[in-house]
Amino acid sequence: MKNKIKQLILIPLVIFTLGSCQDFLDTRPTNVVVAETAMKTIYDAGVAVNGLYVDMKYQDYYGTLMQLMGDQRGDNIQPRVMSTGWVQIYTFGYESESSSNFEMWKKCYQTIMRCNTLIANIGNLNVTKPADIAKKNDFLGQAHAVRALVFFDLARLYGYPYLKDNGASLGAVLITEILAPSDSKLPRSTVAQTYTQVLADLTTALPLLSKSKNTGHFNYWAAKLLQARVYLYKGEWDNAHNAAKEVIEQSPYTLATRDQYINYWKEVGASETILELFVSAQSNIDDDGGYGSYWHNLWHGSPSAGASLIPTVAWINLIESDPDDIRAQFVRYDSQYDLPKAWLNKFPGNGGVNFRLNNPKLLRLSEAYLIAAEGALKGSAGVTAASNYLDVIRKRANPAVTKLTATDDLIQIERRKEFIGEGHRFFDQMRLGKSITRLDGDGHNFAQSAGCPGTITWDFNKIVLPISHTERQIYPELQQNPGYTE
Amino acid sequence: MVKRILLLLGILSVLCSYSYAQIKVTGKVTDAIDGTPVPYVSVMVKGTSHGTSTDANGIYSLTNVPSTGTLVFTFIGYQPQEVPVNERGEINVVLVQQAVGLDEVMVVAYGTMTKGSYSGSATQLKQENFKDIPVVSFEQAIVGSVPGVQISQKSGQPGSLPEIRIRGFGSFNAGNEPLYVIDGVPVTSGDWGSGNMYTSSMNFLNPGDIETITVLKDAAAASLYGSRASNGVILITTKKGKAGRVVTTFKGNLAVSYFAVDNYPMVSEEEGEMLTREAWTNYGKDNPVFWQSYGSLDNYVNAQTEKYYPSRKPNLIYEDWEKQLFRTAVSQNYELSVSGGSEKSKVFASVAYTDDKGINRIQYLDRLTASMNAEHQMSKRLKVGGSFQFSTQDQSGHQDGQAKDNVFYLWKVHLTPRWPFKYDDGSYWMEYYDGGTRVNPVPQFDLQINDANQLRILLKGWAELQITKDLKIKSIVSHDYLKMHDRFHWLYGHINFTAYGQGFASDRYRMVGRTVSSTIANYNKTIKKHTFAIMAGWEAEKEEFLYTRLAKMDFSNYGATESALATNFESGYTYRSNSNLLSAVSSANYDFDSKYYISGSFRRDGSSRLGPDKRWGNFWSVAASWRLSNENFIKKIKWIDDLRLRGSYGTSGTLPSDLYGYMAVFGYDIYDTAAAGYPSNLANKDLTWEKNNNWNIGLDARIFDRVGLTAEYYKKTTKDLLMNATVPSTTGFGSALTNIGSMENKGVELAVNVDIIKNKEMTLTAGLNWATLHNEVLSLSAEGEQIVSRPHIWKAGYSFVQYYTREYYGVDPQTGNPQYYSNATLPDGTKDRTLVSRSQASSTILEGMTAIPKGFGGFNASFTWKSFSAAFSWAYKYGHYVFDNSVDDIEDDGYNSYKNTSKEQLRRWQQPGDITDVPRRVAGNTQGGYYDSSRALKKGDYLRLKNMTVSYLFPKNITNAIKVSNARIFLSGNNLLTFTGLNFDPEVQSNGYYNFTFPALRTVTIGLEISL
Repeated sequence: MKNKIKQLILIPLVIFTLGSCQDFLDTRPTNVVVAETAMKTIYDAGVAVNGLYVDMKYQDYYGTLMQLMGDQRGDNIQPRVMSTGWVQIYTFGYESESSSNFEMWKKCYQTIMRCNTLIANIGNLNVTKPADIAKKNDFLGQAHAVRALVFFDLARLYGYPYLKDNGASLGAVLITEILAPSDSKLPRSTVAQTYTQVLADLTTALPLLSKSKNTGHFNYWAAKLLQARVYLYKGEWDNAHNAAKEVIEQSPYTLATRDQYINYWKEVGASETILELFVSAQSNIDDDGGYGSYWHNLWHGSPSAGASLIPTVAWINLIESDPDDIRAQFVRYDSQYDLPKAWLNKFPGNGGVNFRLNNPKLLRLSEAYLIAAEGALKGSAGVTAASNYLDVIRKRANPAVTKLTATDDLIQIERRKEFIGEGHRFFDQMRLGKSITRLDGDGHNFAQSAGCPGTITWDFNKIVLPISHTERQIYPELQQNPGYTE
Repeated sequence: MVKRILLLLGILSVLCSYSYAQIKVTGKVTDAIDGTPVPYVSVMVKGTSHGTSTDANGIYSLTNVPSTGTLVFTFIGYQPQEVPVNERGEINVVLVQQAVGLDEVMVVAYGTMTKGSYSGSATQLKQENFKDIPVVSFEQAIVGSVPGVQISQKSGQPGSLPEIRIRGFGSFNAGNEPLYVIDGVPVTSGDWGSGNMYTSSMNFLNPGDIETITVLKDAAAASLYGSRASNGVILITTKKGKAGRVVTTFKGNLAVSYFAVDNYPMVSEEEGEMLTREAWTNYGKDNPVFWQSYGSLDNYVNAQTEKYYPSRKPNLIYEDWEKQLFRTAVSQNYELSVSGGSEKSKVFASVAYTDDKGINRIQYLDRLTASMNAEHQMSKRLKVGGSFQFSTQDQSGHQDGQAKDNVFYLWKVHLTPRWPFKYDDGSYWMEYYDGGTRVNPVPQFDLQINDANQLRILLKGWAELQITKDLKIKSIVSHDYLKMHDRFHWLYGHINFTAYGQGFASDRYRMVGRTVSSTIANYNKTIKKHTFAIMAGWEAEKEEFLYTRLAKMDFSNYGATESALATNFESGYTYRSNSNLLSAVSSANYDFDSKYYISGSFRRDGSSRLGPDKRWGNFWSVAASWRLSNENFIKKIKWIDDLRLRGSYGTSGTLPSDLYGYMAVFGYDIYDTAAAGYPSNLANKDLTWEKNNNWNIGLDARIFDRVGLTAEYYKKTTKDLLMNATVPSTTGFGSALTNIGSMENKGVELAVNVDIIKNKEMTLTAGLNWATLHNEVLSLSAEGEQIVSRPHIWKAGYSFVQYYTREYYGVDPQTGNPQYYSNATLPDGTKDRTLVSRSQASSTILEGMTAIPKGFGGFNASFTWKSFSAAFSWAYKYGHYVFDNSVDDIEDDGYNSYKNTSKEQLRRWQQPGDITDVPRRVAGNTQGGYYDSSRALKKGDYLRLKNMTVSYLFPKNITNAIKVSNARIFLSGNNLLTFTGLNFDPEVQSNGYYNFTFPALRTVTIGLEISL
């Protein structure tokens, strides 16, 4: 009896402490994948490529903020009331020490890290079939192209316009490989150096990328159009013109017609979309339905559906000066409050179903025409070529308009009309050293009372975002932008 | 052998009978508190070894008692009592349970000990300390009772989660909650809900089923729990059956509740309009260009006031929002328990039902519990037993903090008296009054589901084998199953329902299964004056988590509540994870002559939460104590009844809360319809547990047979603090789980109990406890590093809850503008102290402003007189600051004209020369209270009458008449009185940050207890 009892007690003791204890303590997660086994096949690499884009659609980047930084800091979009709607963007009220410093910086580096991971690891992938080799090249090209886009955005958001000082102000921290946290505390490079990196990445990407349509992903044409945009910001007019011209003439994309134009914004993979980001209800939205909703939802939809941003009176007046302009149909007056305040109905959501599920369109063929126009006008191609490009966009909006001789003002006005809500206006005015003046006299000019100058030029220090004070506590090498508290 | 003893006894009695008359004495021994019989009480004739013990019904009979002798009644857990015989043949005795005293039996890690031989620091509370306090979970009932332990509720909603800090903050991010152990088994605790409301998994335990609660505080007490003991351990023993008559007890109570204090007094409607006007007038004066188109400033101010604080309209109905949102809650609780058994078999069983209502109608908790504890002596050597605790509860509520559905926040911040309630046709006024974010919450109550169903079963079986007289082995196998199902639904018609098309339904299930198996051997031996107690064994624990989620959109019908009636799939998945722990435990205790005690413990833990090279760790402790009162030179001092010195040192740890934090992993999402993968964490192979080194020195004394005293000093140093440390954003990650730095907690704890009146008819006992806490971050990963986590900063040399924000100076008496210290760092390293506007002010470490109190604790008194008893306990805390995050909403100096306004704003600056600390009100004010500054820091001192009970035990003639053995009624109250300088409820969580969590309630209860 005693022996049996001893066995009873000792056997489990021995089993647990010796036999199975390593197994017992080796557990594995099931909702994530251990990194060593995460990229073993070309299929896995494709999944990792999707991973480059998947978080760019969030609110703190192309989900909302990127567009607002371009439209709401300009004179296209404003908060409907003073209390809600990202007021600090309109008033330039962001500060290094408040939570309203819009940490787009973080999202940008998250994407860059993903690009760097892919670039560092895709070489280990052993593929032999020609189709797989082409895919592998395309994936590598996409990683470089995405990285170029993000570095370019960092330069636009955090650095002063290139033409202001030939890129002498501070731009991005150029991180192009995977670094340990202790090695990541590099200082910021200049805007000029950042542009060099952007163009280098695009140069690497272009020959690798596929020229076929690839909705939701960079292809050759998306990278080419981005290159055109970068040259435009840099004032390299001929390069801008040539790149845009190549897209217009050789790419498989065609402009949406006037008849297609209103519905164009609902469509996924539509004729003139060169790069868009997929937004879908299935993708990692917050569990409780929208307290921190991640979608491009702010000015899309009527105020009764929660929209808190509206087009400015100045923009409405501009677009309604030609009532036959197809884009005037974006303006809607059916609000239950503030009746004189119209709202913008440009983005009704994918399929027009739910305006919160709206694929942001980052690059489209219309932009190629307007870049080509500006590049031609200011470069060697000349005013006639410029007028032809401009006329295509003007006539698409209203076939009845007469052809005009292109001027820079006409091109900028056309850009303002065409790109509302797409995040261009403020950056366009700043890159050219022009000014922004908000003229709305209806009580919305609270920006001024909040300390914002009436007219904004590239001499205003706050046209660049602050670096977060909190981040600088652990990363003091990261230089603050001028005029912000350390 | 037996014969020999009988012979000896016979001889003795014969010898004795020469000197005294011998009589037979019989009687009954009962418990002073509930009058139940006390079995197995030792009854001895003083000065002899002649005696007996009571039977299962508390009855004894002893012959050959000297008629002038004295009987001594002793039983573990009761105060010994000596009764002169005085020639009486019947002596009934009422034994009083030992509230204090070093012979009290304590439940400690892996066993029990008498308090006098225990060298660790632990406080034990018994059922009678909290039995009449109506709480869903026991933690709230012991606030202020345990020195050095801070307890607060995360929210005043029913079923909320307690926050317990035992001797300060042991950890940065790994969690500071203690480990709970029920009847020797570590159990699941904490909040397993989805964060839409606080819900404590410990709610499953009916407080009425608890026999004792022991809080283990130092290493000697807690090191045996090794890698999970750093934040202290709470041991709970549940009620067991007692041999003897079957006792059936019924207890029922009814409680009413409302807010404990007047939180955030608001301005009246007229004052609100006046302040709005004033803000716009000032705004217009500052910016004349804006009112030009209105013709005059007055027109402009009228227009703006009408917009932001609109006048009452004849076709709209306005109500007092407080009345619409809140009610006096009526809660009820019923318990039925049965206890009984023989010497061989004992059983305790109970069922209880709680219907706890919140003061808003969406807040409630319904709970049914059932439990059973049984044991049986199989043979001379083998005892087996088993138990279960079962509970099912439904809890409903709303989010806390600045959430749209937090009715407290809406009431205080958004619902002004000018916010219409209904149209005159009776329909609800449902427009966005404040610019598009808030609507009338009342019709939403029925259209939102935010609830949690928690089902929990704790099953346990055990066997104890007495191998020799000195050696026994006990094996326990238990399974702790928790199922949490929470729902967050916006039904058709809810104001947010269109956010996801036509409504949204999210269901989440979490299953936590924890199997624990342990086998422990105990060897106890006394050889003359040497007593040894040795324990060794092992324990294995397997935790399995299963998470399932389903979310759908677009209800197919008005009135549909479940996702079965929703059309479109939104999200659904499941995953499981595991966390296993394997441990060897051992301890040894030695005492010499009940004077000198030495003990040591050792535990080796292996955890799956750490990488293969780091997963094993050793934890140990040593302790010693000296019972001076057993030394002859102290025995001579009459007024010292007991005196003991003790000290301990040891280690313990905290595991990362992240189960796989050491691995580099890829996370996955969906891009369009394809998978998207990306690195989702920064791996840390070297991740290890937090290590705690713990000193404790204590003194226990009892003097004048009246005064009990315990004084302790402790110092706890935590190294390798686990933290989701912020990493440079250029890594592409926000944070990485890292072991960084070290932190220290030290303090003094003092507890005094005085038996002021102690006689047969009346007792009065008073107690006070007081504790200090010094908390300091000793180092972070890099020299001089500071980590900002607003409103706090972590930096070596400062406390873990040091405040960091802009430094508010006050108001310029000439302009009324708020002024702040610049605090920019000058080239020489000093701070610039010039006064600037808010946007030019830099945040700074506010020296001396921390959430660590200078002192905290409680005092209590209990009084009994015949059949009456009364008790109260107060809790207090002083010397700390709280960060009141309401300032940016209701003391915003005009920033947002839609919002409600605190009475504090009536003290605003109005004209040059005004001396005040509240600035001039200006509409859209971006220089004032909207932005955080030291203005939000307020002294948090408070004193609160936490609990008070009065009870009356019906006399025998009444109980006999209604044929019950006992009947008692009681009246009790929680949070009856509060003294504080704050304008809101002062029970703020330990980091001092207050952000509209639902405040504490005042509850008054009446109850009845009947035993058959």
